Amino acid sequence: MATSTIVIHRKKVEVISPTRQRATGIIEILLGVLIFLFFRRTEPGMVARFVMTPGGLDRGAAPDWLIPAYSTLLVLAILTVILGLVQVWRGFGRWMNLVLSVVVGLTVFSFLTWATAGKSLNLVGMLSAAILLGVPIILGAFSGVLSERAGVVNIAIEGMMLMAAMVGALVGSVTKNMWVGLLAAMLSSMLLALIHGVLSIHYKINQIISGTVINIFSAGLSSYLSAKFLQTYQQLNNPPIFPRIPIPLLADIPVIGPLFFNTNLFVYIMLISLIVIQVALFSTRWGLRLRAVGEHPKAADTLGINVFATRYMAVLLSGLMAGIGGAFFTLGSVGRFDEMMTAGKGFIGLAAMIFGNWTPLGAFGAGLLFGFADSVATKLTILGTGIPTQFMAMAPYIVTMIVLAGVVGRGQMPAADGTPYEKE
Amino acid sequence: MKKFSLVLALVLILSLVLSACTTPQATATQAPEKKLKICQVTDTGGIDDKSFNATAWKGALRAQDELGFEAKYLESKEVADYEKNLNAFIEEKCDLIVTVGFLLGDATKAAAEANPDFKFSIVDFAYDPPIPNVVGQVFATDEAAFLAGYLAAGMTKTGKVGTFGGLPIPPVTIFMDGFVRGVKYYNQVKGTSVEVLGYDLAAPDKGLFTNSFDDQTKGKEFGITLMDEGADIIMPVAGPVGLGTAAAVKERGNALIIGVDSDWFLTAEGYQDIILTSVLKNMDATTLEVAKQVKDGAFKGGTNVVGTLANNGVGIAPYHNLDSKVPAELKAEIEQIKKDIIDGKIKLADIK
Repeated sequence: MATSTIVIHRKKVEVISPTRQRATGIIEILLGVLIFLFFRRTEPGMVARFVMTPGGLDRGAAPDWLIPAYSTLLVLAILTVILGLVQVWRGFGRWMNLVLSVVVGLTVFSFLTWATAGKSLNLVGMLSAAILLGVPIILGAFSGVLSERAGVVNIAIEGMMLMAAMVGALVGSVTKNMWVGLLAAMLSSMLLALIHGVLSIHYKINQIISGTVINIFSAGLSSYLSAKFLQTYQQLNNPPIFPRIPIPLLADIPVIGPLFFNTNLFVYIMLISLIVIQVALFSTRWGLRLRAVGEHPKAADTLGINVFATRYMAVLLSGLMAGIGGAFFTLGSVGRFDEMMTAGKGFIGLAAMIFGNWTPLGAFGAGLLFGFADSVATKLTILGTGIPTQFMAMAPYIVTMIVLAGVVGRGQMPAADGTPYEKE
Repeated sequence: MKKFSLVLALVLILSLVLSACTTPQATATQAPEKKLKICQVTDTGGIDDKSFNATAWKGALRAQDELGFEAKYLESKEVADYEKNLNAFIEEKCDLIVTVGFLLGDATKAAAEANPDFKFSIVDFAYDPPIPNVVGQVFATDEAAFLAGYLAAGMTKTGKVGTFGGLPIPPVTIFMDGFVRGVKYYNQVKGTSVEVLGYDLAAPDKGLFTNSFDDQTKGKEFGITLMDEGADIIMPVAGPVGLGTAAAVKERGNALIIGVDSDWFLTAEGYQDIILTSVLKNMDATTLEVAKQVKDGAFKGGTNVVGTLANNGVGIAPYHNLDSKVPAELKAEIEQIKKDIIDGKIKLADIK
């Protein structure tokens, strides 16, 4: 097998222009000034109390973290400005993005400290909510990565998740078994993926059109069945929910335990699929072939890779991931189905995939960021910072725009993404 | 390619048929004489939202059973559907078109002004100046929410209660407003300092809102967050999104929910043991009343039907399973406050 001849080159290190270097530095200094001028305006002596155990848990408890707001904010402001000055003066080279993320992180932390000064905030509870909010987005993004890496655009993720949510609730209620519900949810969304595959790979129709058709179809069918059966007969809409599964020993680690090792099955699935997909795509022959099909199908075909079979497989796996993501809504979170309950999470998942530059790890980070921004917004509203709710709702998307434009730069889309393959 | 076109055509037709299938639903049998038609345009959230669309629809069904109307509805999946659905009913020549929700205000106004011969009624909207062929259905929901707030303040163990809304619009914030005033009244009377998370009388726009009536995972997150910050009684004012909150509360097991619009004890399957009470907004009663006006030829366009504690247009639901947990004294106080509000002895606006 001459697989080594189709190595896909991606530019690893971009040369940082002086303008970009200085602009980044100035942004960092401005953030420092922001912390100094706005957030530091707390009364000296005020203490911010961060609760480090999510509510309702006794394993992995950690003592509350008390920090003096005024002095902490002063230190953070100075640190941020120094980092900014160094960036303007000589730059951090390839660590630039890392330093910028640290600075943004410090700013967010200052914001929280300012808002919490004199009050208390459940920090770990907030992070745990962020992870749960991120689950459907991240699973949706994985679904997108799998199919787009093989060159098939899948905008039907939203529809697949919606269908899977409905089927999961229905089958889970009828069989009174959440595992059967999950299985049925995955099968239903793989069936939709198969339709997407047949339409866009076999019949070579525009992949956006095919995806849209599936979205409309799912919205229609799930709403119809919901109105006809699930809402009318409540026993058909009452599936068991996957409980919290604590992992022995690991669940008792403070902070990390409650976040990652004493949580919902879907979080574990998400973490395992992150590792599996990342390794499979980038470190195995299977993954290389899949990516080759998405980058240059003709070359892959010449080398004896079955382009159609590979694409079908990728789309079906994509459906599988979307199915798990959909099942999360009904079997992992709420325990009932209601019309249109996926509320656009599939589309946000696609955004997370692009944001994460078509890699599982990037998509995971992006999904967490969306979830985090969402849960910070909720917390800050409860703390009463006086920021209008509409602005809070915008926050995740503003963060996305800034990060997309400023940090990630131009994404590297698979070259043959969205193009049906014509065998000559 | 022929085969492919066939497949595509089938999928398209199927999806269109299915998305249209839920609507309109005519339940009447073939009647010999022409029946009056009551036609309801829902807001997003669906006819089965266990909340306001469902309650108003119950009114239409009662008009069908009790007054011999023929009831139909069209669901609005998104804002763009309002006008489309209204026009469909105008073509149907409905005798009374009921639009459910504040967000349909503009669409209903446009339709009513363009079709002065049709009779309209809108839930949660009072036009100023009035439109001669529209009857508004408005509710003094804050009166009922006030009772719920007083109850919550009396029942909380942590000294914190929480609330959140779907959107910062008057028919939503009026619940939260009354709830907060109820808690504050309790604090005044008892000298306690029960806190409300999620809404501030001075800054209604800066409260906690999901900005969605569909996203139940968000409702769950809000529930978890409010509980994490110490709230042990939560009133979600966001239609089905509140069911996500109920799921969070059930999972945690040491908090209670106050339902809104309809009695959640009866409508939210599986959550009976955590529903303390519900703030009822009896849209079915007001819808039925407007239908009666139409039937008797006494349709008073340009006026409003107002639901209050006094006429049972609003109220709070029985405590059901939690009845034994509510102290008799607190129950008696709430009955007394209800009387005082009806008699005008307690003025909500005075409690700050």
